[in-house]
Amino acid sequence: MKKIKQLYPPGDFGVWIIIYIELLTFGLFFIGFAYSRREQLDLFNASQLLLDQRFGFINTILLITSSFFIVKSIHIIKQNKIHTNIHNASLYILSAIFLGVLFLIIKIIEFSDKYEQGINLSTNTFFMFYFILTVFHFMHVLLGIIILYNLYRNTKNGLYTHDNCQGLESGASYWHMVDLLWIILFPLVYIIR
Amino acid sequence: MKKITTIWIILLTLTLFSFLVGELKITNNFFIALLLVTTFFKGQLIINYFMNLSEVQLKYKLLPIIWLASVLIIIAFTYYLPDL
Repeated sequence: MKKIKQLYPPGDFGVWIIIYIELLTFGLFFIGFAYSRREQLDLFNASQLLLDQRFGFINTILLITSSFFIVKSIHIIKQNKIHTNIHNASLYILSAIFLGVLFLIIKIIEFSDKYEQGINLSTNTFFMFYFILTVFHFMHVLLGIIILYNLYRNTKNGLYTHDNCQGLESGASYWHMVDLLWIILFPLVYIIR
Repeated sequence: MKKITTIWIILLTLTLFSFLVGELKITNNFFIALLLVTTFFKGQLIINYFMNLSEVQLKYKLLPIIWLASVLIIIAFTYYLPDL
């Protein structure tokens, strides 16, 4: 039997408008980075060598896994087994928050490392883009963690059920957007040379 | 749920591939093209299965897909276009 298409994306439609705007904003920064790299190729390649790709790699793993846990929590809530659902789903959300916090800690270590090397926003064009992109993304992860914490509390209090989890889906969509942005940021800033 | 777990493993594997391209400093055109294609594939998986847009009307999932493709095509364009 053919599946019926849903009318709207999961969650509140307002969140999707925010997501589309955020994607466009970051997209312009990504394109700006790529064009500036072309103009100052040697400088960008030399500056990129000062980044530790292991930080970027671990952070990508953390965000993907965190997103995966959120998908699992929604799946559990939609299973309609109230008592086991609340415990397991909130545990998955808590784990996703933990991974998000780890992401931020690693970013702070990376920023401190750059600061100790005397590298900042005004060092050169590469690092200007590096700090703007990663700090801007950092703020989104921070906001995402606050949203996830609220989802955790609501889930624990039994506010979401199999037929009413729009709030959970809205927060989850935002968190997946943060993941999607990093999926491009990682190869663009850390890998491609 | 098994499908989502498989997608998560694919995403981790492709991330490991990206990391190895960077770590081994592979800079030839073929691998960079492959890296951009795998990034598009990863983005598609997140849009379709994590954001759960695979079952919604085309117009709602078209915007993130067009965004993803456009950004990666422009990155490729700036990478491969010969110097003026």
